[in-house]
Amino acid sequence: MRTPLAWLNLLHERTRLMVAIAGVTFAVTIIFMNLGFLGALALTANQTYASINANIFVISPLTLELSTTEPFPIERIYQAAGIDGVERVMPMYVGYGQWRNPTTRINRAMLMYGVNPNDVVFLMPELQGRETIDALRQPNTVLYDRRSRPEFGPQDPGIETELERRRVTIVGNYDLGGGFAADGTVITSDLNFSRYLEPRPLNLIDFGLIQLDELSLADSTSLAEVKERIQNALPEDVIVLTRDEIAERDRAYWIETTAAGFIFSMGVTVAMIVGTVIVYQILYTDIANHMAEFATLKAMGYRGMFLFKVVIEEAIILACLGYGPGFLVSISLYTLARNATGGTLPVYMDVERAIWVFVLTLIMCTLSGLVSVQKAVQADPAEVFS
Amino acid sequence: MTRLPKQPLLSWKTFMLPPRHTLLAWYNLVHERRRIITALAGVSFAVLLMFVFLGFKNALYDSQTQLLQLLNGDIVIINRIKENMFVPEQFARRRLYQAQAFDGIEEGYALYVATADWKNPETKLIRPLRVLAFNPEEPVLPLPGILENQDQLRLPWTALLDDRSRPEVGPMEAGIDTELMEQQLHVVGTFSLGTDFAAGNGNVVMSDQNFVRYFARLGPEEDSRTLNTVDVGLLTVAPGHDVDVLVQTLSDRLPQDVLVLSKDDFAQRERIYWEENTNIGFVFSLLTTMSFIVGIILVYQILYTDIADHWAEYATMKAMGYTNLNLLAIVLQEAIILAFLGFIPGLLVSLVLYQMAMDATGLLMVLTVQRAMNIFVGTFVMCLVSGAIAVRKVQSTDPAEVFG
Repeated sequence: MRTPLAWLNLLHERTRLMVAIAGVTFAVTIIFMNLGFLGALALTANQTYASINANIFVISPLTLELSTTEPFPIERIYQAAGIDGVERVMPMYVGYGQWRNPTTRINRAMLMYGVNPNDVVFLMPELQGRETIDALRQPNTVLYDRRSRPEFGPQDPGIETELERRRVTIVGNYDLGGGFAADGTVITSDLNFSRYLEPRPLNLIDFGLIQLDELSLADSTSLAEVKERIQNALPEDVIVLTRDEIAERDRAYWIETTAAGFIFSMGVTVAMIVGTVIVYQILYTDIANHMAEFATLKAMGYRGMFLFKVVIEEAIILACLGYGPGFLVSISLYTLARNATGGTLPVYMDVERAIWVFVLTLIMCTLSGLVSVQKAVQADPAEVFS
Repeated sequence: MTRLPKQPLLSWKTFMLPPRHTLLAWYNLVHERRRIITALAGVSFAVLLMFVFLGFKNALYDSQTQLLQLLNGDIVIINRIKENMFVPEQFARRRLYQAQAFDGIEEGYALYVATADWKNPETKLIRPLRVLAFNPEEPVLPLPGILENQDQLRLPWTALLDDRSRPEVGPMEAGIDTELMEQQLHVVGTFSLGTDFAAGNGNVVMSDQNFVRYFARLGPEEDSRTLNTVDVGLLTVAPGHDVDVLVQTLSDRLPQDVLVLSKDDFAQRERIYWEENTNIGFVFSLLTTMSFIVGIILVYQILYTDIADHWAEYATMKAMGYTNLNLLAIVLQEAIILAFLGFIPGLLVSLVLYQMAMDATGLLMVLTVQRAMNIFVGTFVMCLVSGAIAVRKVQSTDPAEVFG
């Protein structure tokens, strides 16, 4: 049976191994946190679009992202309604209103979605009830996002406060979250929206939502065809996007053109470098300490290749041992981050990221292995008793 | 073997090394070139990690308050419900005139703030910029680029552009013709202010008269602006008057629809808002804490390794009669040397990264002497603590293990 040399080498000194694992763990954690926040930037928009009941989105080309929109004429969606393959069109209005916390009486900017109560714009199950829709039709009412920051105050139905200096009553709740874009969100009827954000007229809309009929949804080519038909039929003052495309557009906005996107990307890079240095420290020391043993192995006839393998194996073992706890710590820190921000920050672990960070950890450790391995491979058999 | 002279248990001499002239700690470290380089790189990276994340955290707060700090005034008047700079609430300009009547108030300036769509003259894409408008006769925002161009600002359809705006804004130089709020605009000069997390793209400065040109007749979907409502009122205090007393007087005597604050309190309030009430503030605090933990682990690992490697030597020294305290002194000296030597490259690389981040984002990333000192002291303490933990292993060394 082959001796697990790399494993025994590492295990030989317990304390050092523990410190080494701690080092890798924390490097992994920092990478996870930065990627998590970076992901939250993207997810912010993504999860809102995912909750909207539409296949095609029409927006103004001047719209930057979900909460920074440029209104365009509602006629555009009426034009789209006549196109083959379009089942239904719905307007959506987006704007910020000052929400007064009824307890502290401090105002804060609230992102408002205005929808026609006859349209099923949002897919959240808690919004589908007959009673909720009827309540939304009443003047001066809103549905309130439970994932709004706690600074907005109590969230329960029946709470009365002020929005844009007008009376407002919460008539229901839903779970959505505004991420980095908004600290809190509410849904109002279109009439209430224009009432609160006067002089905003209802013939200028922020999002045109288009549902396609079943035939066009059957496969992606027919979806693309309908999308193209709509784009061709509408003037160039609007752009037509599928749900994936609009989510990608927002993601690009957040990650590429905001300071936060840059900072978290830089954070990942720095954490990677530090992780590499930590592992390098460990491997280098380990090799330096076992120089005599490596030399002996060489004198016994083992090739440089064998020693190379041992060091790389050590690197990979460290990567695996450090990744596990790092993953667990990150999950609890994600939870901590979600709780601390009142659920407004959508940091969630996903499989793709977990795999991606594992690959990064392997690369990081192997890289340090490669840098330090040279010394072991060059071990001179004559050094055996030095 | 020469006996060491008897020493009191904890005098300063304890921490000097017997024979006084052998720099044992230093030799220990430099004994192996490659190892000391590795160790220094480790400490440098720990320092770098702390600098970078602390830098981001400070950038948030510095950037959010830098405009407030640059405004010329000792006392600030705002609408009572303007909880932070980015709540678009104004107050009546006559409050500013009322305030000027108080004894001790010298000047009262009005600052108008709005967000405007800026067209990048090259790509024709729109970016929102923050517009700061005031009477060009008054030194409201005394920055070099603004003071020089006061006369130019009086012309209609002109403005100054912040040359630290984000690159999406387009070329940032005098002479550019473009559109602001879908109306013509001639850029007559530039100034340097920078972005923050709320005014994400950059700034434009214009005269109050031009402000009315751009914002008094907005489309049907927005509220138009007049000069009668002011976003931020600034008051300067005559020499010999106490700012805090005046703030108290004004708060008591002016109607309750405005809030009167000293400029420092205003900036402090802004900072607290971002620190406690926003997601981004929480995120940066968390990342900074984590970077400190990693830094400590990294330094500990380096010192521990170093000691573990010289175990036999330490045992020999013990056998020779060195006390545990002497050994502690050696390790602490090593820690200090590592802290010093590792700090400098870490600092230099951080400065480069700060500059990169500043250029890329337009955020204000300043490394004050105070902050650098804090990190240095942090590194130092980190090294000392790691050294003290690591040395326990040496202290339990049995001299008999000397050749073990």
